[in-house]
Amino acid sequence: MRTTTSPRAAFRRTPARTAVAVLAVSALTTLAGCASASPAAPTAASSSAFKPVTQNPNATITVWTDSTRLPEVQAYQKSHPGVKMNIVTYDGSADGSTYLQTKVQLFDRTGSGWPDVVFSSSTTDATWASEPTKPGAIPFAAPLDQGLVPQSTLDNFAKGSLTACQYNGHTYCLRNDIAQVVLWYNKTLMDQFGYTVPTTWEQYEALGQKVAKQHPGYLVGSVGDTNSQESYFWSSQCPAFDLVQPDTLRTDLSSPDCTRMSNLLDTLISDKSVSTQGFFSQGFAKDSGSKVLMANGPSWYGQYLFNSAFKTPAGQIAAAAPLTWDGDTTAATGNVGGGLWMVSSHSTNLKAATALATWLTTSDANQASAPTYPAYVPAADAWLANPANKQYFASDVSSAFKQAANEVWTGWSNTKFSDATAWSSVVLPALTAGKTLTSTLPAWQAAIADEAKAEGYKVTTQ
Amino acid sequence: MTDTALRSASARRPGTPGRVLSTLIVVVLLGVLLVFFVLPVIWLLLAPSKTAAQIVNDSPLSFGSFSQIGKAWDHLTAFQNDALLTWLKNSAIYSGASLLLTLATSVPAGYALALTRFRGRKTLLMITLVTMIMPSATLVLPIFLELNEFHLIGTVWSIILPFSFYPFGVYLVYIYFATNLPRDILAAARIDGCSEWKLFTHIALPLARPVIALVAFFGFVGNWNNFFLPYLVLPNSNEFPIQVGLNQLLSSTPSFNPVAGAGLNITIPELALAIIIAILPVLVLFLFSQRALVSGMLAGATKE
Amino acid sequence: MTLLESRRVTAPARRRGVSRRRGGRAGYLFVAGYAVLLLAFGVFPTVYAFYLSLTNDRGQFTGVNQFVKVIQDYRFVPAFTDMLLYLVMWLVLLVVLTVLVAVVLRGRMRPGLSALFRFLFYLPGALAGVASVLVWLFMLDPDVSPVSWLLDSLGLNSFAAVLAPGNLPVILVLIAFWTGAGGWIVVMYGALNNIPDEVLEAAKMDGAGPWKTAWHIQIPMIRTWIAYMAILAFAAGTQLFVEPQLLQTASLGRVSPTWSPNQLAYVFAFQQGDFNGAAAVSVFLLAIGLIAAGLLVRRSDMFKVDET
Repeated sequence: MRTTTSPRAAFRRTPARTAVAVLAVSALTTLAGCASASPAAPTAASSSAFKPVTQNPNATITVWTDSTRLPEVQAYQKSHPGVKMNIVTYDGSADGSTYLQTKVQLFDRTGSGWPDVVFSSSTTDATWASEPTKPGAIPFAAPLDQGLVPQSTLDNFAKGSLTACQYNGHTYCLRNDIAQVVLWYNKTLMDQFGYTVPTTWEQYEALGQKVAKQHPGYLVGSVGDTNSQESYFWSSQCPAFDLVQPDTLRTDLSSPDCTRMSNLLDTLISDKSVSTQGFFSQGFAKDSGSKVLMANGPSWYGQYLFNSAFKTPAGQIAAAAPLTWDGDTTAATGNVGGGLWMVSSHSTNLKAATALATWLTTSDANQASAPTYPAYVPAADAWLANPANKQYFASDVSSAFKQAANEVWTGWSNTKFSDATAWSSVVLPALTAGKTLTSTLPAWQAAIADEAKAEGYKVTTQ
Repeated sequence: MTDTALRSASARRPGTPGRVLSTLIVVVLLGVLLVFFVLPVIWLLLAPSKTAAQIVNDSPLSFGSFSQIGKAWDHLTAFQNDALLTWLKNSAIYSGASLLLTLATSVPAGYALALTRFRGRKTLLMITLVTMIMPSATLVLPIFLELNEFHLIGTVWSIILPFSFYPFGVYLVYIYFATNLPRDILAAARIDGCSEWKLFTHIALPLARPVIALVAFFGFVGNWNNFFLPYLVLPNSNEFPIQVGLNQLLSSTPSFNPVAGAGLNITIPELALAIIIAILPVLVLFLFSQRALVSGMLAGATKE
Repeated sequence: MTLLESRRVTAPARRRGVSRRRGGRAGYLFVAGYAVLLLAFGVFPTVYAFYLSLTNDRGQFTGVNQFVKVIQDYRFVPAFTDMLLYLVMWLVLLVVLTVLVAVVLRGRMRPGLSALFRFLFYLPGALAGVASVLVWLFMLDPDVSPVSWLLDSLGLNSFAAVLAPGNLPVILVLIAFWTGAGGWIVVMYGALNNIPDEVLEAAKMDGAGPWKTAWHIQIPMIRTWIAYMAILAFAAGTQLFVEPQLLQTASLGRVSPTWSPNQLAYVFAFQQGDFNGAAAVSVFLLAIGLIAAGLLVRRSDMFKVDET
């Protein structure tokens, strides 16, 4: 016997019913003057003092670290067996991953589960962690300058390195390393070809054109990495990410400060002395690793790029101070990454958590042999004095590193979203397709503006 | 025309251009598809035997050495103190336990939907279909909130319970029973006073082996490969299943993350070996499942 | 009327009576376990998602404002366009090729060889998910791939060139086809196998060649299974998340993080903290899925099994 309501008949009736429902809701909406769909702007972390939760000096602290920093945390556990630690690894917010932000939002909703100490390789994380993630929540990162870390310690970090951690007048993280941009060059090749190391951007451009004519195939730089813009555009002080107010972003890529760099790069790109393939792209090391004459890049290029990736023999690579523009007395230079350590405001053992974070960032025992250049100045001196960090280079890199550390431009603000997204997804594909950098600037600016607006910023060009 | 004449007229004589062309097309098509499907698998199996440099420089289908496989294995297990083995163990627990629960709930449910009558049967069927189509991104948050209400976050149940919900399996069982089980036998058994449970265990279950194997197979494989839910819901990396662990391994490979990767010895051969290890159980199942796939899905279609 | 026939006539009436009384209670018990899971992980999350899409984060009713806001987001149209392009390419390729290959394997070769081919096509399905993307990352990298000569001939001489935004739908379809087609070929083959031989013999006697038989007889007889495959492939396609997400990581950001609508919902929810917007995007996806499922179900008599 046929049943009366076969699913087929039900399906036939459903569209009609749904249509009626939708109409009804729309009518209701217009009539009722419904509430706004925008998320509530979280009230900024008020100026009231930081109120820690009930403390327990014996509580286990949960530490989230990435694979590279894991041995350091394990070394601390070994040398401090009395501290109870639960060490967990995660991706460290590498490659634009938003894992940490996702998890903290979930923990805020359930009211438990936050780690006590967290490492992040992205300065973007401090931006959202210093604000509540939703109405009623407290910011994840604890303000370290309110009784947790002595001011004298904070003062000893390299100038400007803690800017990435500072919001609303408080410091929310400790900087693990700075990646100040210096001019790397292959001394052996430069001597062989008879070139002198440039000191200004104009000389750099001229040298690039000479290299293209006399030694085609050799490179003086690359714009193809996800963070190449930080190596080049900070130096020309381009207002691409300028927070004029905490909630207003100024991005104006038509400014002469931006076009002078894009024109310079376009000249060299068309000469093929600057590559549109990233230094770290697959196959670059094999094809062109030995042909890199110069690289304008961060301090960690020395070990990670030339030694590990390109396998350039020791004694060839040296670093020079950042380039200035003709007529400027001081240089502005870029900063590419640099990790940070945060302590959770929900931690029940702030003492142990802060001690760990402080040891990791400031102690000579840890930082002198770290793979990256420390942000804490005394530890940086120890790093520079460590023979392992000097043996590889052709000459002493200390003066270049120290000078660059003091010249990092502060006009490129940290926002809640990574500055790599717009560059990687809009500019790099355009360059790969053969367009010029200058002609891509409007699209890059539009992408930045769109992303900023989606994150709740107001966007202006002034 | 006689029968034989008809047959010879309709049978294409070999050698006619039409037949040669169509045979050629078929051969080319199958050849291209064969290479397309099989070549990546062969490459994957050969990759751990070569060093990263050999993979880039040597012929893609060459074999390196067994000792290199051993080295790749050592690098992998050294990663984060045997994280790989922990992840494998987790996957086995999640998939295995949810498999048992899935079978225990889906098979009776499919049977009841097909062969018993109760109010709400049609509604249940409809809801099952709809939930098969709902996108996953938003469902995870309500599931997360629910799991938290019952204090299950951080326990294995936060993964096993959602995994056990398998509407596709119920639907498969439903179709199978609806088209395969002779109603007359059931009716006769019921008239003879058989309880529904006895009917189920003595008549339906023995006949349902193909579809049970099928549901077990699909369910296990689907859960083993599931990435999204464990990625979001599990707080600690040592609770990850192997798929999420692979993602973390990826972000520690220099070619995919230059800054963090250096010094960890995870390059292409290690990644390839990790992939092979991650899919090994599923691959083994696949080797034996083809027949179940056909008999489980299509047994019903043989009936009018 | 014989005793048998009369029994058959009266039995249905008694069967109905008996089953309605008996089957009812037992039926509830049998579905109890599944029903609990369905409520917990199917019904409640869907209802909650609908609730979220109609309110804001302070719990106030917003009507259609969430949907309007989401449509106006600059990533909405590109994401849905990407997905639609992908779906069209994916469904056409899947349906055409699996049916074609199944027909060929069924009619044009020895059973042993046919079985071997089916097995080899089927094997990559074991690598679904993360593993398949990782394998294809290597296949698509001209420096590592065994088919680098093919990539070079297409003008793609670097990984970056391969991952140009315009190529993404093709890449994702390739990956989906590689893992998914084999299983469906096996199913289509099985369905073809079930067509009674007499029907095929009759066609041959009428003078139909193999292609004509396939087009006029075999394919129409398996149309239920083709529709089934299309629905499931469509549903899976709208939910595309893992593959573009991994490509985004592995490409170091060249692929947009909101390529597919599911990714867009994820970004709304977990990066912008806007679960209401995420729910609105998902409701759109659900609506598309339901419409497609409804159409296909109606046109292919899929529910015939139930009308007995």
